[in-house]
Amino acid sequence: MSEKILLIDDEQDFLTVMSERMEARNMQVSTAASAKEGLEKVTAGNFDAVILDLMMPEMDGIEALKLLKEKNPDLAVILLTGHATIKQGIEAMKLGALDLLEKPADLNALTEKIHAAQAQKMLIIEKKNEEMINKIISTKGW
Amino acid sequence: MNSDDKDIQYDAIGEAGLRFFGKVSASIAHEMKNILAIINENAGLLEDLTFAAQRGKAIDPERLNKACRQFTKQIHRADGILKNMSRFAHSVDNFSGQIDLHDLAGLIGNLAGRPAAMRKLVIEVEPPRSPVIFTTNPFLLENLIWLCLEFAFAATGAGGTLTLSPVQTDSAVCLHIAGIDGLAGDFAARMPVGYEPLLMALGAELVADVPGKALVLRLSC
Repeated sequence: MSEKILLIDDEQDFLTVMSERMEARNMQVSTAASAKEGLEKVTAGNFDAVILDLMMPEMDGIEALKLLKEKNPDLAVILLTGHATIKQGIEAMKLGALDLLEKPADLNALTEKIHAAQAQKMLIIEKKNEEMINKIISTKGW
Repeated sequence: MNSDDKDIQYDAIGEAGLRFFGKVSASIAHEMKNILAIINENAGLLEDLTFAAQRGKAIDPERLNKACRQFTKQIHRADGILKNMSRFAHSVDNFSGQIDLHDLAGLIGNLAGRPAAMRKLVIEVEPPRSPVIFTTNPFLLENLIWLCLEFAFAATGAGGTLTLSPVQTDSAVCLHIAGIDGLAGDFAARMPVGYEPLLMALGAELVADVPGKALVLRLSC
C-alpha cells in the first residue's frame, strides 16, 4: 500500500523535486507552501506522515507542529530543517515529532522514517479497533 | 582616528555586535542549506532517471533540462548570497572607510531579506538623486541599520514594505526607514538593546517622523 504524504515547505523548487522523487517511490504526495495551507490540507486528508520545514514565514514549524498535533495527536510528523538548534530539536520531540532531519536530507533515510510512520499508524489503528471490540464485547450482553 | 575613538568603536561593537554577526551568519547558513537541499534533490532525481534508463526506460530530455536549469538557478542564488556574505565579512576590515550609503543600505536590505520574509515584509532600497558617499565605520553603521530594521519588523507586524532611502542635505547625511506602521514617539524605549552606544560611536542621531511612519537616522559627515 502506498503511503500518503504531505510535504510542507516554503521553498517551491524543493517541493516540486521532492514530490517527484517520492512519487517515483510509489508514495502519494500532496504539497503545501505554507504552514497555514498545510494545516488546511491535514484537516481534509488522511495522511500517513507530514514532512514539515522548521522555518517558514508567518508560522514556524514548531507552532505548526503544535497545531497539527492538536488536530490529530496520532499524526506522524517528521521535521526537516536547515539549521536546528539542540533546543529546537528537544522541543520538537517533546511535542511529539517522529524525527528531525537536517537539510539536505537523504531520501532513503527519509523513506525509511516514512515506512516506520506508516507501520506505527497501522499499529495505532489496530489498537484502537481492538479497544473498540473489547468495549463492545464487555458492554453487550450476547 | 585616535586611540580613544578606536576604544569607543570597539566598545560599541559589544554584545549587540556579536549578536548581529551571529544572526546574519545563521540566516545565511539557513538559506544555503535550503539551496543545498534543492541541489541535492535534483542530483538525486538525475540518479533516479539514470537508474531507470539502465533498466531500459526512456528518459524525457526535458526532464534532464529542468534539473540542469535548477542547478544553474540555485548556483546563481548561492553566489548572490555568498557575495553579500563576503562584503559583510570584510566590513570589519577597517574601522573607518568611505562608503556609499545606497550600496551599504542595499547590502543590509539583502541580508535582512529572509528575516523580513519570515514576517511577510519586503525591504526596498531607493536610490538617492546623487551618490551619498562619506567616511564612517561600516560595520557599526550596518549594525545600527539592522537594529532599526529589527525595531521596524516588530513595530510593523506581518505584511507591508519597508523602504530605505539615503538622503544628503547641506548639513547631514540621513537614512530614512519608512513604512513602519506601529511607529510612535516613544520608539526609543522599544528599540533593541545596543543601539545607543552605536549612535554615540557614529556621532549619529535617531529620530521618529511619526506622521511619515519613518525613522530618520542622521549621520555625521
